[in-house]
Amino acid sequence: MSADFYFGVEVFLNGLMAGVMYSLVALGFVLIFKASGIFNYAQGIMALFAALTLVGFQEGQVPFSHLINAVFGTEIHHFGWHLHAFFAIILALGVMVLFAWLVEKLILQHLVNQEPIILFMATIGLAYFMEGFGDLMWGSNVKKLDIGIPQGGNFWIEEKTAFLGGEDFYGFYLDTLDIYATVIAGLLVAGLVVFSQYTRTGRALRAVADDHQAALSVGISLRAIWVIVWGIAGFVALVAGIMWGSKSGVQFSLSLIALKALPVLMLGGFTSIPGAIVGGLIIGVGEKMFEFLIGAPLLGGATENWFAYVLALVFLVFRPQGLFGEKIIERV
Amino acid sequence: MADQRSEHERCDTIPRLLAYNARHYADRPAYREKEYGIWQSWTWAEAEDEINALALGLVTLGVEPGDHIAVLGRNRPFFYWAMIAAQSNGAIPVPVYQDSVADEIAYVLDHCGASLVFAEDQEQVDKIMDVKDQLPGLKSIIFIDSRGMRKYERTHLHDYRDIQKAGRAASAAQKKLLDKRRAQQSGSDSCAMLYTSGTTGRPKGVVLSNDNIIKTSAASCAFDNLQQSDSVLAYLPMAWVGDFIFSMGQALWSGFCVCCPESTQTMQHDLKEIGPSYFFAPPRYFEGVLTSVMIRMEDAGRVKRKLFAYFMAHAREVGGALLDGQRVALSDRLIYQLGRLFIYGPLLNSLGMSNIRVGYTAGEAIGPEIFNFYRSLGINLKQLYGQTEASVFITQQPDGEVRADTVGVPSPGVELHIDDKGEVFYRSAGVFVEYYKNPKSTKETKDKDGWVATGDAGFIEKDSGHLRIIDRAKDVGKMKDGRLFAPKYVENKLKFFPSILEAVLFGSGRDKCTAFINIDLQAVGNWAERNNIAYSSYQELAGHAQVYQMITEHINEVNIALANDEMLSGCQIHRFLILHKELDADDGELTRTRKVRRRVIEDKFKDLIDALYGGATEIFTKTEVTYEDGSKGSISATLQIADADVQPTPSGKGEAA
Amino acid sequence: MTAQQPQSYVTSDGRTIGPPVMEMQNITLRFGGVVAIQDISFDIREGEIRAIIGPNGAGKSSMLNVINGFYHPQEGRILYKGGERKPMKPYQIAHQGIARTFQNIALFKGMTTLDNIMTGRLTHMKTSMLSQAVWWGRAEKEEVENRELVEKIIDFLEIQSIRKTPVGRLPYGLQKRVELGRALAAEPSLLLLDEPMAGMNVEEKEDMSRFILDVNDEFGTTIALIEHDMGVVMDLADRVVVMDYGKKIGDGTPDEVRGNQDVIDAYLGVAHD
Repeated sequence: MSADFYFGVEVFLNGLMAGVMYSLVALGFVLIFKASGIFNYAQGIMALFAALTLVGFQEGQVPFSHLINAVFGTEIHHFGWHLHAFFAIILALGVMVLFAWLVEKLILQHLVNQEPIILFMATIGLAYFMEGFGDLMWGSNVKKLDIGIPQGGNFWIEEKTAFLGGEDFYGFYLDTLDIYATVIAGLLVAGLVVFSQYTRTGRALRAVADDHQAALSVGISLRAIWVIVWGIAGFVALVAGIMWGSKSGVQFSLSLIALKALPVLMLGGFTSIPGAIVGGLIIGVGEKMFEFLIGAPLLGGATENWFAYVLALVFLVFRPQGLFGEKIIERV
Repeated sequence: MADQRSEHERCDTIPRLLAYNARHYADRPAYREKEYGIWQSWTWAEAEDEINALALGLVTLGVEPGDHIAVLGRNRPFFYWAMIAAQSNGAIPVPVYQDSVADEIAYVLDHCGASLVFAEDQEQVDKIMDVKDQLPGLKSIIFIDSRGMRKYERTHLHDYRDIQKAGRAASAAQKKLLDKRRAQQSGSDSCAMLYTSGTTGRPKGVVLSNDNIIKTSAASCAFDNLQQSDSVLAYLPMAWVGDFIFSMGQALWSGFCVCCPESTQTMQHDLKEIGPSYFFAPPRYFEGVLTSVMIRMEDAGRVKRKLFAYFMAHAREVGGALLDGQRVALSDRLIYQLGRLFIYGPLLNSLGMSNIRVGYTAGEAIGPEIFNFYRSLGINLKQLYGQTEASVFITQQPDGEVRADTVGVPSPGVELHIDDKGEVFYRSAGVFVEYYKNPKSTKETKDKDGWVATGDAGFIEKDSGHLRIIDRAKDVGKMKDGRLFAPKYVENKLKFFPSILEAVLFGSGRDKCTAFINIDLQAVGNWAERNNIAYSSYQELAGHAQVYQMITEHINEVNIALANDEMLSGCQIHRFLILHKELDADDGELTRTRKVRRRVIEDKFKDLIDALYGGATEIFTKTEVTYEDGSKGSISATLQIADADVQPTPSGKGEAA
Repeated sequence: MTAQQPQSYVTSDGRTIGPPVMEMQNITLRFGGVVAIQDISFDIREGEIRAIIGPNGAGKSSMLNVINGFYHPQEGRILYKGGERKPMKPYQIAHQGIARTFQNIALFKGMTTLDNIMTGRLTHMKTSMLSQAVWWGRAEKEEVENRELVEKIIDFLEIQSIRKTPVGRLPYGLQKRVELGRALAAEPSLLLLDEPMAGMNVEEKEDMSRFILDVNDEFGTTIALIEHDMGVVMDLADRVVVMDYGKKIGDGTPDEVRGNQDVIDAYLGVAHD
């Protein structure tokens, strides 16, 4: 086999790992959409906010220090301690759950039975509020996120696979962080599936997603479920935030990963968890392979920026409900 | 080992076999039943404990040796235990078809004089209550499912568990009595009484002794090497002799596990979960499963459909040969293994047939297509021929000698002979004792030397020694020159072609055979569509030259097969026509169960039959029909009459057309 | 008003009927200016099958929703298990021990029969989110215990063969049975059935009647059902309330009600003034 073939395989593997990250973000959307019919525009910002909070706790940053300093004329920035990553994650998770509770209490509760577009608008408002709030709380500078996951090429894999190709093949180059991310995302998804299939709360979540009236009649409190769902979505956002943040720093652009999740959702359907996963993988592999095979040699490169959207568009024409979405049958 | 063997052979009653199994296979599963979503199971030791408790409970109820105890319900371990508990007391279990109506139950219970009935639930108890006044001998009813039973008056009605409880609390004297009853039994005592469903007249009670059941079970277990490690799904009616042999006789002899489904509707699912190694089903079951597989494949994606078609074609080619241990090219073996990985394995698994080591079908003719489908998948599906009066086994197919058109060689210990009218007789250790309270029928069926008339006509193939069944003996006629005329046999052969829906053979008392054919509109219609043959009506399609050609080819094929059977070579079809209308029960041409009414058809289409035996090549006819709303009309048509190729027969009586 | 019936008594077929579980006292319900229910009083006794019947538009469904707690009457008192019942949120009703089925079936269509009936157990499950998340200790034990009870219900309703089938694919009659199963799983102190026979053929009606009677008999469940098919109700119910145009026009055993002239008029469609 030629070295080109193995480069292709390497690109494919990298695509898979990128795809897992897309899936992770898309998952957050699907969870909330299924349970409450809300398209949560703020999902990307939630990931940013979660990552900011995590870094803040880790670094011992004083929240709202800018505001405090401006009002009281003080010069405080840090408490002066560093928190172990594990405890910082637990605390950040706590903040995300608190956030979920507040969202339900302050926003959703007042919008019960409103049109989906109203709810969508509310999440847009929420997104911009959180963007500002995050900046205010933790500052707007680019931060480095390091929770101890090694980064850079994985030499072990590179060495062990070098024999496959010829002279000019040095083994697969895979980023260790990506590998970690893939494993963690895989565990997360498996955990969510098991949780939703085999536990009481999971069953209640599925019940609410299926039929609100029936859910009420068996004693499920919709509001409690919404808090749980937003809490889980916050947890997923935290994981996504950690992975993306570790890779390219915590900054506003992190929230744009939500945009990558859109084509994934179009592909996988808004209501399907397996759809989000498979959709993410297809987009990840698709855009990397397209760039490798066609984009770079023929189109001058940089196709990764738009390929996913074009693919999603083509898909929409043929299967508007997505790969796994519920079939839309209009009765005439 | 030798000791164990002889100890085993000394077990000449069912209760002794139970004790043997409880001793030697104490911790091995004996019974399973799915209830509340999980498989409950009982080891042989546990089963013995349950049965003993129940048997003692029956003692406390006053059951006496020689009593008849009826069992009414679906297959459940509790009922098998009830039968063994009855036998432990020297009483005779009488399983009754659970879907019988109250009158049928009344007849059976009255005829055997049952003193006790085990009934499954409220529904069955209600049926007995309806006819209780006609049954003076009936003393008690024991039910298993207590649901809805709270309101019933309890003097004669008992909960199964209460009887067991009473049994566990039985006195030493009662225990001694039970032991004595067990010790006094012998192989010649009655083991069970099974009522034949009886197509004509009242059902007859076939009395089978312990020797009948145990000797037959021992021989048939040896024939197929059935072991303690085997398992069977008990889903066929308990009143049927087959279930009695498989789930009682063979299970107790070999010590294998009897599994009962959760309910009648879940059978297919439970089969999949259990994956039995020993399986029996009537041909219509295999046919139904095959049809549903085919329908599912029609709906499958293109790739899957293609793969299925490819590998199934390959299996048809080599699967049967592989199963029979014949030589198969290595490449074919490899492709078959691939097919097993992708198609056969998953398919068998979803049908619950992955583990089948020995599978049987019997009762009626099975289409070769259907039979070979399962064999090509690697299921060792075989045919047997049996009767209640024989404790099932008369003939069966040994491994490696399996064919769709025979029913096998005589089972171990069975002698066969065919009388000059073609009727099959047998003699064996399994031959029944008598018809209960019916010496006249007993005498008619079984002669003083122990030969039993089957009522079926058949013949033994010269080279293979296999028995082939032709038809019920009374339905087999003679042609003018004395050769055998077996219309149903030939018609079945024709109907195995998908394009032929019905066929009617004529030739009784004549010098040659002719036939009416009804095409299958769906199959032939599909065929016509694929071959771009336009037609606007059934009549037009039936008269189409290409359809005639196709049917002629089918008939030629059947003629070749018939010519190879010395006895049936006279039944070759010389001329035939395709009817312009479907034979219909509304017009009286078929019975409601779709059996041909020969007499009616002969009268109604006399002109056509005359034309078949005359020289004409076509005939104009007018037929009265009944429409679905009951109004009458008539259709007329000009039918062509076609000739088929007739093979010369060894005796030279055939003539080439 | 009428003479007090004894605290508890035994029916001719051996069931024990206890004191009232629920008492409706002078209930009036209005929607804007429309009076849906006008000054109605009756009670539901422990262990009985109580039917509310009436022609279409008589206010039966409104009555059921009052019992259920979905609607809060403007006037009158509701005593439940001895105490006066306060207005509740819809999801709290189930926690009060009231389970119901719906005329138009409200099942979780995408979930299996088993999962649907398991949701009926939600009000009885107490373990925390965290222990569920790690499927640990009590959470597992609780799941298994509840599954056992649900399997008994599946066995009772004879729906073993559809245990793993998504209910959306089941025929109507079976869906009704699954919905009954889900309500039973809650082990309710009061089971409300909203037109349980609606849209069924004769055979399905017979099956459903048998299940309702068996539920009442086996588990001693108190059942209140509304139904417009008089014939079915008369065979099932211990006592019947008849409504017409929001008013109570009859109350008593099926035989008493059958002989009531107002009831006969209402069902024969005598013109109202």
